Amino acid sequence: MSGALGSIPLLAQGGEGFVRNRESGSGASCVSDDGVCPAWIVDHFDRYMEPLGRHVLLTVVALAIGFSISFTLALLAHRRRWLIAPVVQLTGILYTIPSLALFFLLLPITGRGFLTAEIALVSYTLLIIFRNVVTGLDGVPSDVVDAARGMGLNDRQVLWRVEIPLALPEIAAGLRIAATTTVGLASLAFFAGAGGLGDPIYADLNFKSNVLVAGGLCVLLAIALDLLVLAVQRLLTPWTRAVPA
Amino acid sequence: MSTPDQTPSGAAAAASPASAASPDRAPAQLEFVDVVKRYPGASAATIESLSLDVPAGEILVLVGPSGCGKTTVMRMVNRMIEPSGGQILIDGEPNTTRPAAELRRDIGYVIQQTGLFPHRTIAENVATVPKLLGWPKARIADRTAELLELVGLDPEFAGRYPAQLSGGQRQRVGVARALAVDPPLMLMDEPFGAIDPITRERLQNEFLRLQETLKRTIVFVTHDIDEAIKMGDRIAVMRPGGHLAQYATPAELLLSPADEFVEQFVGADRALKRLALGRVRDLRLEETVRVRYGDPTAWVREQLRTSQVPYPLVVDADGRPLAWLDDDDLRGERVVEGVGSAVATVERDDILRDAFSDVLAHRVQFAAVVDGHGAVIGILSSDAVARELAPGPAPVEPVEAGAGPGTGS
Ligand SMILES: Nc1ncnc2c1ncn2[C@@H]1O[C@H](COP(=O)(O)OP(=O)(O)O)[C@@H](O)[C@H]1O
Ligand SMILES: [Mg+2]
Repeated sequence: MSGALGSIPLLAQGGEGFVRNRESGSGASCVSDDGVCPAWIVDHFDRYMEPLGRHVLLTVVALAIGFSISFTLALLAHRRRWLIAPVVQLTGILYTIPSLALFFLLLPITGRGFLTAEIALVSYTLLIIFRNVVTGLDGVPSDVVDAARGMGLNDRQVLWRVEIPLALPEIAAGLRIAATTTVGLASLAFFAGAGGLGDPIYADLNFKSNVLVAGGLCVLLAIALDLLVLAVQRLLTPWTRAVPA
Repeated sequence: MSTPDQTPSGAAAAASPASAASPDRAPAQLEFVDVVKRYPGASAATIESLSLDVPAGEILVLVGPSGCGKTTVMRMVNRMIEPSGGQILIDGEPNTTRPAAELRRDIGYVIQQTGLFPHRTIAENVATVPKLLGWPKARIADRTAELLELVGLDPEFAGRYPAQLSGGQRQRVGVARALAVDPPLMLMDEPFGAIDPITRERLQNEFLRLQETLKRTIVFVTHDIDEAIKMGDRIAVMRPGGHLAQYATPAELLLSPADEFVEQFVGADRALKRLALGRVRDLRLEETVRVRYGDPTAWVREQLRTSQVPYPLVVDADGRPLAWLDDDDLRGERVVEGVGSAVATVERDDILRDAFSDVLAHRVQFAAVVDGHGAVIGILSSDAVARELAPGPAPVEPVEAGAGPGTGS
């Protein structure tokens, strides 16, 4: 497995910190067998906190920027329908470029580090969020918009008081997919030298304890973000839970 | 209108009477002057030069087959559609002098699909235009409570969402929302079109009753000639191509259709349709023996000899009708709980057509006329209604006192 990664040694960095100290701590034989060692995990858990924090930062920043860009584009395209096709095509191309390839393409331009990783991560959120916002706005019943205009709401009021609130469930759905995708992709950010949970994972892929903890934290982070967006959505859309009398 | 003494306790402390929430606004006078509408790309004009005059405080019904341009005409009034030519004057002023959004806040707007905001509570929906106009919170709360009562919705609905209401209740909210600022002009596009017939009849009646006090100028669109005759002070019958086939009062329309198209559209049952012009209150009601369960049958039979109606009516303690009795029900010593047949109940404001069809749907061909609390105030016989069908220019005339069945001309 490390052979496959050997072709990109330039990218891998800072793994030394995670090389096991096979001598230290209890359960030394478990560690030297590359096993799942609870004692080792307890002793070394704190060393995963920095990569986890970095992972959260990578993900949240990418989501925030990706959301701002796609939401703005979607609002523009909602009134100017001709914009939809080109935006979907462009973000679709970005979406299909393999992430590692994108890192490589960006390295000569933006160099190693946070910026390169963010550009790649943000690119992957665009299509998902844009499509969901447009779908959500399109799904607002036309009679509701008609009544809003007929009562004297202007275009901006119709958008912010009627269309966007009613599109929230769909927008949140897009954000949730984008969040889980980004958490996964952010574990490749270390190839761009941007840290994150990818650092410990790729530093010692053979050590099950290591992969289990780092991978597990990735999964937990994805679940936590997903539930967070869901909770906020439910808080903002009380009417979706109103039971028909 | 009743005083809002049952408003929720949370309502504003100001003990203002119902009318204080909205200043009395005069209804608008509406005029179409050579209005033309040509949709881009369409070969012919949808509306070819329409001129109409609607006096203030009247209901103008636009009626005609589907696609003839009724909705187009209505939506040009609040500029949801811009005319290609001509002018629409509201109180003599072209509707283009103000920004469209501002104009619309002054014009009530009700559509068939209701267009209620699913994400807003009923109270918030009703408060839409007052909020746009920046009314203070307390005034909005007062007005909302008043409007819900006005359209016959329990105050407990205020906090619910539209999805939690029935179709009829939603349409009431739609009407309340349109009435919020007491607009001088209202537009209603098939407002009761998507509702079951029984609820529709009730909503129509309630709306007419409301209009008696509100006296708004209303443009009411329907494709249903029966609804047009019932609701309209004036009816504009439209022909495909946006031509005005006839502009007349309901009675004129029924008595002298302008041409073959109108005659066909009004229908061969024109005479029958005239029943829509009269109300139960226009007819002389009859009386019958009112009994309670448990009354001695001998006494009932004795009373029945001098009764105009040959059936005794069982009522409850509050005078509400329970059942008609016939000879079989009077065999025992006392009137037994639960015997008798169903009673058609109608109200004084019901149109005769609706009352008649209600009576015909029951075994006993007499209807109990009830007041607002459901208590019997008299009896309507199907014969009395049938006499209204007799030809003659005046569709409704009081019947002679005590006239028995079969004395019609
Ligand atoms: N936005 C539009 N663009 C083009 N044609 C339209 C539009 N709205 C309505 N029409 C056409 O105008 C005619 C009248 O429509 P409408 O006013 O909705 O009729 P009605 O309400 O009487 O059913 C129809 O033939 C319809 O196809
Ligand atoms: Mg229509």
